[in-house]
Amino acid sequence: QERHVISGAVTDGESGEPLPGVTILVKGTTEGTTTDFEGKYKLEAPSEGVLVFSAIGYQSQEVSVGDQSMINITMSVDVTKLDEVVVIGYGTQSRETLTTSVSKVDQKVLENVPYTNAASALQGSISGVRVQNTSGQPGASPRIILRGGTSINNPNGSTPLYIIDGVFRSQMDDVNPDDIESMQVLKDAAATAIYGSRASNGVVIINTKTGEAGKTRISYKYNLAFSELQKRYDLASARDFIYFNRLGLAATGEKHPERLSRLDLATGSGIGNDLSNSTSFTTQYLTPENEHKLKEGWESMPDPLDPTKTIIFKDTDWQDVLFRTGVTQNHYLSASGGGQKATFDLGVGYLNSEGIAIHTGYKRFTARLNGDLKINNQLSVYGKINFTNSSNTQVFSENQLFQRSLALPPTAKYQYEDGTFAPGQNRGIGNPAYHLEKAKAFHNTNRLTMSVGGNWEIAKGLSFEPSASLYAVQAINNNFQEAYYNTPTQFIDSRNASASHSTYWQKQFDGIFTYNTSLNNLHNVQLKAGATYQDRKNYSLSAAGRGAATDNVPTLNAAAEPTSVSSSTSQFRTIGFFGRVLYDFDQKYLLSANLRYDGASNLGDNNKWGVFPGISVGWNLHRENFWEAIPKQVSRLKIRASYGVNGNLSGLNDFHAQGAYTAGTRYNGNAAIQNNRMANQDLQWEESRTFDLGFDMGLFNDRVSVIFDYYRRKTNNLLTDLSLPYSTGFSSILTNLGTLENKGVELEISANMIQANSGFQWDVSVNASRNKNKILKLPENDNENNRIGGIYVYDRGSGEYVWKGGLQEGGTLGEMYAYKHLGVYATDQEAAEAPVDMLVAGSDKSKFGGDVNWLDVDANDTIDTRDRVYMGNIYPKWTGGISNSFAYKGLSLMIRMDFAVGHTIYNLSRATFNGQYQGDIGITNEVLNSWQNQGDVTDIPRYYWADQLAQNNSFRGSSFYYEKGDYLALREVTLSYQVPNFPWIKRIGMQNLRVYATGSNLHYFTSYKGLLPEDGGTDSGRYPYPRTFTMGLNVSF
Amino acid sequence: CTQDLELSPVSSMTVNSFWKTEDDAKGGLYGMYGRFRDQAANNLYFWGGARSEELSYGLQASEGRERYFENTLDVNYAGPNWLRLYTVIHDANLILKYVPAINFVNEEDKNEILAQAYAMRAYVYFIMSRTWGDVPLSLEPTEGYGGESTFRARTSVEEVFAQIKSDIDQALTLFPGNAFPSGRSIWSKPAVNALKGEVYLWTAKRMNGGSADLTAALNALKEVQNADVALLEDFDRVFRYDNKGNQEVLMAVHFEDLESGSNYNNSMYIRGDQIPVNTTEEVKAMLGTGGGLNRWAPSEELRNQFVEEDQRKDVTFVEVYTYDEGNNASYYASAVLKFRGFEDAGARKFMDDVILYRYADVLLMMAEAKNGLNQDPSAEINEVRQRAYGDDFDAHVFTGGTQAENDVAILKERLLEFAFEGKRWWDLVRFGKAFERVPSLQNRSGQEHLLLFPISESTMSLNSKITQNPGY
Repeated sequence: QERHVISGAVTDGESGEPLPGVTILVKGTTEGTTTDFEGKYKLEAPSEGVLVFSAIGYQSQEVSVGDQSMINITMSVDVTKLDEVVVIGYGTQSRETLTTSVSKVDQKVLENVPYTNAASALQGSISGVRVQNTSGQPGASPRIILRGGTSINNPNGSTPLYIIDGVFRSQMDDVNPDDIESMQVLKDAAATAIYGSRASNGVVIINTKTGEAGKTRISYKYNLAFSELQKRYDLASARDFIYFNRLGLAATGEKHPERLSRLDLATGSGIGNDLSNSTSFTTQYLTPENEHKLKEGWESMPDPLDPTKTIIFKDTDWQDVLFRTGVTQNHYLSASGGGQKATFDLGVGYLNSEGIAIHTGYKRFTARLNGDLKINNQLSVYGKINFTNSSNTQVFSENQLFQRSLALPPTAKYQYEDGTFAPGQNRGIGNPAYHLEKAKAFHNTNRLTMSVGGNWEIAKGLSFEPSASLYAVQAINNNFQEAYYNTPTQFIDSRNASASHSTYWQKQFDGIFTYNTSLNNLHNVQLKAGATYQDRKNYSLSAAGRGAATDNVPTLNAAAEPTSVSSSTSQFRTIGFFGRVLYDFDQKYLLSANLRYDGASNLGDNNKWGVFPGISVGWNLHRENFWEAIPKQVSRLKIRASYGVNGNLSGLNDFHAQGAYTAGTRYNGNAAIQNNRMANQDLQWEESRTFDLGFDMGLFNDRVSVIFDYYRRKTNNLLTDLSLPYSTGFSSILTNLGTLENKGVELEISANMIQANSGFQWDVSVNASRNKNKILKLPENDNENNRIGGIYVYDRGSGEYVWKGGLQEGGTLGEMYAYKHLGVYATDQEAAEAPVDMLVAGSDKSKFGGDVNWLDVDANDTIDTRDRVYMGNIYPKWTGGISNSFAYKGLSLMIRMDFAVGHTIYNLSRATFNGQYQGDIGITNEVLNSWQNQGDVTDIPRYYWADQLAQNNSFRGSSFYYEKGDYLALREVTLSYQVPNFPWIKRIGMQNLRVYATGSNLHYFTSYKGLLPEDGGTDSGRYPYPRTFTMGLNVSF
Repeated sequence: CTQDLELSPVSSMTVNSFWKTEDDAKGGLYGMYGRFRDQAANNLYFWGGARSEELSYGLQASEGRERYFENTLDVNYAGPNWLRLYTVIHDANLILKYVPAINFVNEEDKNEILAQAYAMRAYVYFIMSRTWGDVPLSLEPTEGYGGESTFRARTSVEEVFAQIKSDIDQALTLFPGNAFPSGRSIWSKPAVNALKGEVYLWTAKRMNGGSADLTAALNALKEVQNADVALLEDFDRVFRYDNKGNQEVLMAVHFEDLESGSNYNNSMYIRGDQIPVNTTEEVKAMLGTGGGLNRWAPSEELRNQFVEEDQRKDVTFVEVYTYDEGNNASYYASAVLKFRGFEDAGARKFMDDVILYRYADVLLMMAEAKNGLNQDPSAEINEVRQRAYGDDFDAHVFTGGTQAENDVAILKERLLEFAFEGKRWWDLVRFGKAFERVPSLQNRSGQEHLLLFPISESTMSLNSKITQNPGY
C-alpha cells in the first residue's frame, strides 16, 4: 500500500471562513486527525483510501485520495433538519435521538429583519406556537401562546417561560436578535418537565453567541429600514362627512327633535363654527368675511338640508397627520475568537426605530460579552455579561389615537388662522399632532444579566456544572402633561406629572451533575441530577404632582403640589430538584425520563411542593435490519411518544394564598384598609398532563424531512378566577378548580427541492398547527354544566331558551354572540311589518325603511336579547407558515409567509365610524352606499347621528361588523448577495461582504376591513403593524 | 427547604395579620366608607333618583341612561348590580365579626365603630330592599368559597326589613353620644335616627306598618332635633364644596380631590365648548367653566314646577337659551347646578359630597309622618318653605288640607327641595305616586313590577338560586 501525505484546508461554504475542529478519518479505519484553528490539516493515507470529512452541523463529505497531495474542502451546512442539534433542558441532543417535541427557529429568520422584538422571529417559523402582533409600537412584544395556552380566564395571558443563557425570564423584550445563536421552543411536557414549575406553557430557550477557537473575527452589520402604514381606513371626505352627518342628524331628529340643535352648533357638521380659535371645526356658512378661505384650499357645498345656503369647509386627512414613514437604523458590531485556552464573543448593538405613528419610537442599546476559559483538561469556566438599555415613546391611548383621533371628522381644524395647531374636538378625539406633542413621556429600562459557571470533569464521563446568575431590571417612567387646550376653549394647566422607579432582581443558582457512559457502544446512557434555587425581589416607588408653573420642566421637582406617593415591595422564591435519564440502545431504541420536585413561596401553606415527571420513548426504525425492505424513498423514520406533567403558577401573585388587606385608599383624610382578596390556603400547583405522539421522517435521502406531532394536554387544578355570585361581595376567588383540554396537531416539513450542487438551490419549509380547546370541568356552582356567565338565547335546534357562551363544561373558550343582520328594509312599508324591536332606544319602537332587518330567532315577533346568535370564536383554528429560499451562487432570495385561519374579529372601530357612536367621528365610504330613499336596496342601513339613540342599527352588536380574521401575511421577502472576495475588497481590509434588501410585513391577504387582522376579539383601535423596507449589509474584517 | 419558601408580604397585610389592633379597626372602618363612596358616586343616583320625572335627554348621547327615565330597564340593561353593595356589607360584617375581640383603650370607641357598621349595613340593605325587593341576606363576612354562604337565595323583603330595624336599634344603643363627628361624613346617632325615620315611614306605607310604624318614625325624627342641626339660611351653601359637613347635614358621603373620583353630576353638566356663545352672560356666569358631559338633563316636567321666587330654582339647575339676531330665544339645554363642584386648573371637578340625610329631609319626613297620623304637618313644611321663599314666604305659606292633599303638597315640596339628590324615585314609590307623576309610567299603571328593578342577567347567570322579579 502506497501511503502519502495529504494536506489541505477546510472552509465554510457560506462564509468562506476556515473551519477548525473538522474530523478527517480514513474510511474504515480509526486513523485520522482534526483541523487546526486555521482550518488546516495534514495526515497520511493510502492512495486507494477515502477521506471522510465531518463536523457537527455540516454535511459529511467523502473524497478519494488518489494521487492528490492537497485536498481543500468546502463544507456546506447540513440542511438535514433531522440531524440538527437541539438544546433541551440543561443540555443538548441530536434530533436523531430526541424523543420529545422541540422546534428550532431557522437561523435565516433572524438574519435580515431588524426586529425590535426578537420574539417576532417565532411568527410562522415554527409549529405549535401562535404568535400574534397586537401592536405596531416598535419594541412591543408579540403575543406568544403555545398550544392554546393553559388558562380558562386568560388564555391570551399564558406566556411561555423564557430561558436566556440559562436565566429564567418572563419575556424576551430588549434581546438583540443579532446576539442570538439559537432559539427554540420545547413543546411537550416530557421536554419541559425538567423545568417543572412554570413550564406548562412551553419553554423558549435562547442561547447567545459564544466564541470559537480560531482567528479573531470582527464583523459589522447595518440596517436601514423605512416603515409605513400598510393599510388605511377607507374614510370619507369632508364633503361626504358633512352631507351624511347633516342628513343623519335630521334623521335622528325625526324621533328626537331635541337633537336638531346640533345642526347649528360648532360641531363637525354643524355650521356654528367660525374662523376664530374658539371652535374646533371649519364647517360654516359662506359669508363675505370667510369667502377668502375658498382661495386657500377650502371647499364649498350646498347645505343638504337647505340648498339655498352654502357651507364651506377644509378637508384634513387625519391618517396623514397621525402616520408617517418611520426610519429605523440598526448597528451591530461584534468580535469573536480566541485560542486553545480561551474564547470570547462580544457584541455591541444600537437600534433606533421610529414608529409609524408620529412621536412614537424605540431605542435599544445592547452590549454583551461571553467568555470561556479552559483552566485545564478537567476544568473550564465561563462568564457572561449582557446589558441592554431601552427607551420608548408611546401614544397615550391606542383607542383614542387609532380609533378616535384617526377618524376625527375631516372638517376639524388642523391649524388655526394664526398657524398654531388646533386641538381637535378634545384630547380623546383630537388632533394627534397637537396632543401627542403635549404629552411628554420618558420610559427607560435597563436590564443586566450576569452569570458565571463552570464545567468540572470529575472523572471520565462524570461532570459537574455549577452556575450562578443575577438578572436585574431597572425601569424609569416619567410622564408630564404640558398645559394644553382640551377643547378650543378649555385650557387645562394642571400640568400633571408622575414618575416611577422600579427595580427587580433575580438571583439564580444551579448545580448539575452529568454522567455519560456507553456499554459496548450499544447502551448509551446519560444521567443528570441537579438543583436550582431562584429568588426574585422587586421594589417600586412612584409619585405624582401637579401645578408646575412652566411646561419647560417635565420632572416632579417643578410640581407645586404633590398629589400622591407610593412604594411597595414583593418577593418570590422557588426551589427545585431534578433528574433525568437519557438512554438509547444503538440509537435504535430511545428513552428519556425526567423528574422535577418544585416548591414555590406563593402557594398555600399545605401545598408548596409538587412533583413533575416526564417520560418519552422513541424508535428509529431506519436503524433496524428490516428497513432494507422499505421502499428506498423513505430514508428514515422515527416514531416517538411522550407523557409528562408540568406545573404552572402564572396568574398567582406573590402572596396570593394569604389573602390581602390593602392600604392606599383614604376617606375624609383617614387612611383606609380594604379586604380585597380572600385567603385560600388550599391553592396548589396547576398541573398540565400532556400526551404527545409524533414521528420524524426523512424522504428521498433526507432531502425532505417531516416532523409531526399530535398532542392532548389536559390541565387540572387550573388556577382559575372563579366568578362568585354577587351576593358574596367579591367578583371572584382564585381557585384550583377546573380542567381544560387542548388537543391539536403540528406539522413541520422542510424540503430541499433543488440541491446545491446544481448551482441553484431551493429549500421550502412549511409548518401548520391546529389547536382546539374544550372545558372539561368547572367548579360546582349549581348551574347546568357549572356554567359561569354566558347569555340567555333561543336555540333553534332544541326549540328552547338556553344559556350559551360564557364558560361551560363541554364548551369552548372565546365564543362571541351578536344580532344577525339579515338585510336592510327597502321601504317604510316593509319595515312596518318588522317584529317589535326592544333594542330601539326610547319608548317609540317604530321602524322605518333603512332600518336593519334582524333575525327573529325565536320567531316571537319581538327582537330582544334572546335573539343573539353565534358569531365565531376569537381564537384561530389553524396557524402556520411557509418559507421559500432560493440560492444561486452568492445570490439568495427568501420569501416567508404565515397565516392564521378561523378567528373572528368584532370590528368595533368600523362600527363606531359608520354608526357615529361617538357623536362626532368620521365615517367610512361605506356610508355612501347607505340607504337614503324609499326603495333603496342596500346592506348598509340608513345613516343616523348616534345610532344608539336612534334605531340602534349596529350599536347593539351587529353580525355585519363581525368579520373573519383569516389572513395570509407576506411576512418577509429578502434578496441578498454575498459579494465574492474580490481583491479590492480584501485590499480595504474587508471580507465576506453581504448586502441585502428586505421587505417585511408587505401585505395581508385578508378580507378583514380593519388595520390589523392578527388578533381575534374586539378591535377598538390598534396600532397598525407597519410595512417595512430594509437595506442592510454585513461585513467582516 | 420549606422554611425558605415561607415568605410574608411587606406592602400589604394578610388575612391572618389583620384585625389585631384598634388602628386596624379604624382602618377597616374607613375602608368600608371608601367602598360605599364608590357606590354613592353614581349608582346611588341610578337606584334612587334616575327613574323619576327629574331627568330627560341631554345634549350628548345618553348611553342607555334613557332606560331609567323612560322606565325601559330589562334583564340585559338592569342598572347597576348589587355586587359592590354586598362588598360594603362584607366590610361591615368583618367589623362586626372581628372588632369585638380587639382590645380598645376606651370601650366607647369600640362601640362607636360597631354602631357605624350596624348603621351602614342597615342603610345598604335599605337601598337594596327598596330596589329589588327580596335580596340575599348575608350577615357574615365572605371568607371562603363553597356551600350555603356562596350560593344564597333571596330572603323575603319582610325578613330583610326586620334585620334592618334590628341593626338600627343595635346602632342606636351602641352610639355613645348624640354628637356629630367632624365632616359629618360617617354615621352618627342623629343620622341613624333619620335613617330610622325613613325606614319606618317606608314600612308604614309600603308594608302595612300602619300607625305604629308612623309613630316610631316620628319619634326617631324628633330625636334628631336634639342634635346640632339647623337649616342653613342660604340654600346654595348646603351643597358647596367649601362648606362640607355644614350644620344642615346629618350624613354625607365624602368626596375630595385626590381622594375620590367625581360624582354623578359629571354627566348632568355641560362641557365647555358646548356652552353656546349666543346665550346670556347671566347664564354663562351661572355655568362658569364647563365640564362633564350633558348626557341627561333636568326635564321640562321638573323645571316647570319651580316658581321664580323659589331660591332653590337657580341653585338646582340652569336653563340655557340661545338667541338669534332678532333676539328670539330658543331652548338649548339645561344642566344641574346643585352639585356643580369647583373649578381647578381649567377643569371642573364634581366632588361635592353626596348628602344622604340633611335637616330639611328630617322636617319633611316629620310632616309626612304627622300627616299619616292625622296630625298637622304645616309647621315643618313651612319651616322648609320659609327658607325657600325668603321674603316671598307670605305668598307661599302652607295651610293644611285633607290628608291626601297634604300628601300631594309634601311630595311636591320634596321634589323642589331634593331634586337630583337621589331620593325622588324612592319618594314616588313610598307615596305610591310613581305611575301618576312619571311621564313614562303614566299609561302603565297596574304594572306594579315596575316599582322594583329587574335582576340582571349576569346576576342570575352566576347563581341559579336567584330568580327574576315577576313581570320582568
